[in-house]
Amino acid sequence: MVLLREGLCPGLTVDMVKALQTEDIRTVEDLVSSDSEELAQKCSLSYKALVAVRRVLLAQHTAFPVSGADLYEELLSSTSILSTGNHSVDKLLDSGLYTGEITELAGGPGTGKTQLCVSVAMNIAHELKQNVLYIDTNGGMCASRLLQMLQAKTTNTVEQMNALQRIRVFRVFDVFSLLCCLQNLRACVRTVSASSNQGSVKAVMVDSVSAVVFCMLGGKQTEGMSLMIQVATELKMIAKDYNVAVLVTNHVTRDGNGQLKAGLGQTWSHIPRTRILLQRANRPGAPTSLRTATLTKSSRQPCYLMEEFDLCEQSAEELKSRFSGKRKLDTTA
Amino acid sequence: MTERVRMAETGAQLLARVAGRQSLKDIGQHVFPEDGGPAQGDVVEFHGVEGSGKTEMLYHFMIHCVLPKDSGGLEVEVVFIDTDYHFDMLRLVSILEARLTPTAEENADSAESETEEAVRSCLRRLSVVHCSSSVQLLLTLHYLEGTFCSRPALCLLVIDSISAFYWVDRSSGGESLARQEANLRKCAELLNKFRRDYGIVVFATTHAIMRNYSSAAGSTPHGSSEASGSTPSWRNFTDFDKPYLCRTWQRILTQRLVFLKSERSPVDQKQVFTVACSTVRTKGVKKCTFYVTEDGIKFIEGQ
Repeated sequence: MVLLREGLCPGLTVDMVKALQTEDIRTVEDLVSSDSEELAQKCSLSYKALVAVRRVLLAQHTAFPVSGADLYEELLSSTSILSTGNHSVDKLLDSGLYTGEITELAGGPGTGKTQLCVSVAMNIAHELKQNVLYIDTNGGMCASRLLQMLQAKTTNTVEQMNALQRIRVFRVFDVFSLLCCLQNLRACVRTVSASSNQGSVKAVMVDSVSAVVFCMLGGKQTEGMSLMIQVATELKMIAKDYNVAVLVTNHVTRDGNGQLKAGLGQTWSHIPRTRILLQRANRPGAPTSLRTATLTKSSRQPCYLMEEFDLCEQSAEELKSRFSGKRKLDTTA
Repeated sequence: MTERVRMAETGAQLLARVAGRQSLKDIGQHVFPEDGGPAQGDVVEFHGVEGSGKTEMLYHFMIHCVLPKDSGGLEVEVVFIDTDYHFDMLRLVSILEARLTPTAEENADSAESETEEAVRSCLRRLSVVHCSSSVQLLLTLHYLEGTFCSRPALCLLVIDSISAFYWVDRSSGGESLARQEANLRKCAELLNKFRRDYGIVVFATTHAIMRNYSSAAGSTPHGSSEASGSTPSWRNFTDFDKPYLCRTWQRILTQRLVFLKSERSPVDQKQVFTVACSTVRTKGVKKCTFYVTEDGIKFIEGQ
């Protein structure tokens, strides 16, 4: 809803706004939808001026069509694929996270969603030397864990510090701050892209989206759904307009047949372009750190591709530390 | 727009208005029943849950439209309004390439660059618009009216999806349902005008997000234990089938395609999709099944 007011466009004067208000034309939509000729007669305004204002307002507020050929050209030059640093996940994603898209990791507690997110962030910052924005909504992001992963990759402290500096972490714990954070992000991604010395942001992660959205849903109210869609729209716009890869995590529920499915309901299920379901691999004799990743939604690969990976494998060198010590105990037991 | 504007129209505009546009009737013989294809001014709804092949089917139809005549296409222009920010150009191009290569195979040396050029010329017949709110959608539709006037080759308007702003509108519209639905109603009225005055065919997807509780309740007397064990496919059809968008939209629909993701076949692990088409002109429901390959949709014959 865009209210008509003086100065909104050249030619829209105070008198004109007042005259239009007498006919209950208060917003741009009202003006554009009404018949200019009839309106000019009713409000005794100049038809020519009204048509001119209508045309300018339309041009200001509409989204412009882009030719498919131009869009393809732009896409070819701007799309990049960010490797996650995890071979199994890369294979499912057709070689990595695509910029301009939302990818979702769904899984129950302890299936390695946060671990994967942190390692992806580390990989993008260290290997690909790109900036990452990490939005942490459940307190799962741990700087020392990040450093451990880096130490396993390189012993050079300068490189470690450089990589850490490329990851910016935001802590938000409710949906309103998340929205606020995302809106600021859009402004900040724009300014960062403009100043070339820092390099542009290539990946945004939200771990987890369900932690802040799920508590808003339910009952006979529409606000929660609306907020969820607004979060989704912000993420999509960041992904699309600034050509950023977005990675979100989600919890899981069971459907009527007892099958695992991603949480947040039918409406959210349409949002991510690609979805990977993480599960513990519970065949007998398998180490407890073994996880299976199943592709449950994709427009590039056949669905239900399955890969196994070991959470510990990527951190094999730093097993002695207390963070992965727990897992090591499990494996030896 | 008004009489004064019409007096100054160009020959192309006159043709667009008077002569009408090319028919898309034969666009999907597999999907639509006989004589039920989208004629001029038809509005088709693609309804289904996530990952049930709606967008894939849209790509299939769009490619049929933009392909040149000698490759078996219709060579007409398409406008795609992307409200889901979901449009995958790379996927569209890979299907397009697959459809174009068989004709270019004769001389293999120059085939690749020829295909590339052919893809580009096809893509020039497609325009893409991204909309992020229902107000923007409404204003963009108003803006597009001028485009429809001036381009007689433009036959198809695709909106993916028209239900994208449903929850935001419901929540920001206050207490009265009329105000909550105001923007979508205006959009539907405008689409109605397009199809009536310009003969544009409209394809729009709607997400199936409302569970149809009444039908679920109706099926319980048949024995809940059986139903929960192996879900029969006819029940899935009605499970998320409830139309929830405003009445103005429901009224202008002429065809409705309901998409369904079947269980995977245990033999070859191939995901099979079903689409059921009902139209206002023909009786009954036409069902067809298809699966998705790298090269687009393949229909399964003889069902």
